[in-house]
Amino acid sequence: MQAVGLQTFIWNNNLRSILLLAGFPVLLLFLLFAVQLVLLGSGFSHASNVYFQEGNPFAYAVGSTIRSLPLAITVAAVWFAIAYFANQTIVDLVTGASPIARKDDPELYNLLENLCISRGMKTPTLRVIESDEMNAFASGVHEGQFSVTVTRGLRERLDRDELEAVLAHELTHIINRDVRTMIIAAVFAGIISLVAQVIARMLWFRGGDRRNGGALVLVGIASAAIAWFLAIVIRMAVSRQREFVADAGSAELTKNPDAMISALHKVAGHAHLDAPEEIRGLFLENREEGLFGLFSTHPPIEARIAALVQYAGGHDTGLAPEPQPQHTPQANPAATPGPWDEPPPAKGPWG
Amino acid sequence: MIGLLIVVAIVVVLGFMLVGTYNRLVGLRQNANQAFADIDVQLKQRQDLVPNLVETVKGYAAHESGTLEAVTRARNAAASAGSVEDKVAAENVLSGALRQLFAVSEAYPDLKANAGFMQLQGELGDLENKLAAARRYFNNAVSEFNASIQQFPAVLFAAAMGFQQRTFFDLGENRAAAETAPQVKF
Repeated sequence: MQAVGLQTFIWNNNLRSILLLAGFPVLLLFLLFAVQLVLLGSGFSHASNVYFQEGNPFAYAVGSTIRSLPLAITVAAVWFAIAYFANQTIVDLVTGASPIARKDDPELYNLLENLCISRGMKTPTLRVIESDEMNAFASGVHEGQFSVTVTRGLRERLDRDELEAVLAHELTHIINRDVRTMIIAAVFAGIISLVAQVIARMLWFRGGDRRNGGALVLVGIASAAIAWFLAIVIRMAVSRQREFVADAGSAELTKNPDAMISALHKVAGHAHLDAPEEIRGLFLENREEGLFGLFSTHPPIEARIAALVQYAGGHDTGLAPEPQPQHTPQANPAATPGPWDEPPPAKGPWG
Repeated sequence: MIGLLIVVAIVVVLGFMLVGTYNRLVGLRQNANQAFADIDVQLKQRQDLVPNLVETVKGYAAHESGTLEAVTRARNAAASAGSVEDKVAAENVLSGALRQLFAVSEAYPDLKANAGFMQLQGELGDLENKLAAARRYFNNAVSEFNASIQQFPAVLFAAAMGFQQRTFFDLGENRAAAETAPQVKF
């Protein structure tokens, strides 16, 4: 159903995320089938001889795919368990964020605490990274482990309302258990790309050239490549959806979509933080240009702002001039026409 | 046999759609109710500040009794308003009366320098900001709910199941003035 406001927008995106996640097991099955085809075609499987003479290799591959399911599920479960427990350690090691207490920064701490009280949840640990870049992320996979991290640059250059909006965005990730969702997506994408790479290696050492085995191998390789590509695309699509939902959740918590919009404007282009891909996906903003945005973890800032304007009734007033002059000389940013220069289309009751 | 199965399947699918749509509408209505409750909290806080404010002003500007009485009357009317429409109307009157009060207080430098008055003024300004945000969220929720009950298939049964169009928290002609917090000059 079409989204007509904030709630329906959130519901639609959640539904879409579930459908996308459901695609992973299907992909994995598809890939296992491809493995069976390659095994058959390249003569690895002891059944090769029999089935080329008197049987349908595809039917045989379906049968052995089903037989290999328990193994595949076990591998996925073990992998998931490891990723689940390692997540927090990796985040801590990589980003060098130190926890801060209420007395270190009462204003920031109170903002977060008030948001948590309004949702009846335990306040996550608050951490700060000493960096001039402006970014933030949520981490932790279960209660007691949740934490919200902001950079020093973000803390200092956003005003109170904008900080609250960013904290609410991260809090929504926690409320929605998005870290867990993204671990699931990463594990599936990881398994699928590993298997696809194993197939490629295998063929490198032992080419498939017996009888019509070559054709089977080709079909298998093509299937594996498609599965690999789709796994990554789905993973990134889920990631982008979670960002839209977190933006909407921020507007829902703070009742102030404008603050989120202006925070996004400020953060745009100043959000670079070095971190592994898994963690960058959790950031407030992470910009990488790729193939038509298919491989981006985050939607473009303009798209996020447009969604806030359309569904949360936000007003986009553009980027307020920076108080301090920039160090690097650059073209006047105000001169570049952007989609946000136009007044937003009248949509909500206050549009 | 197959025909019967198809009919059963269609009925089941329609049943799921009906339940899903109904639950959606309930969720949206609840969202709007919750949003109005948030506004109500701010309105109550404002009402609680008014008697203090009136007392403080009385000490310095006793001959503005007309304005003071208007504020007190508006405050009591707002506190006793029942329905959403009555509340909206009463609170709009109170907003106007408060604006009037702050306007006349301009003429009393001693009052404007009073610490208690300044604090009340600050608190009220803060409340007005929160009210503006809460009101906007409520109106958004109402417009979403109203749009949803007019969508197909909800439009077929929404009225029969008691989903009525909600009214916005409308500020009448003062909408622009109310969206921005009142200017507090010193």
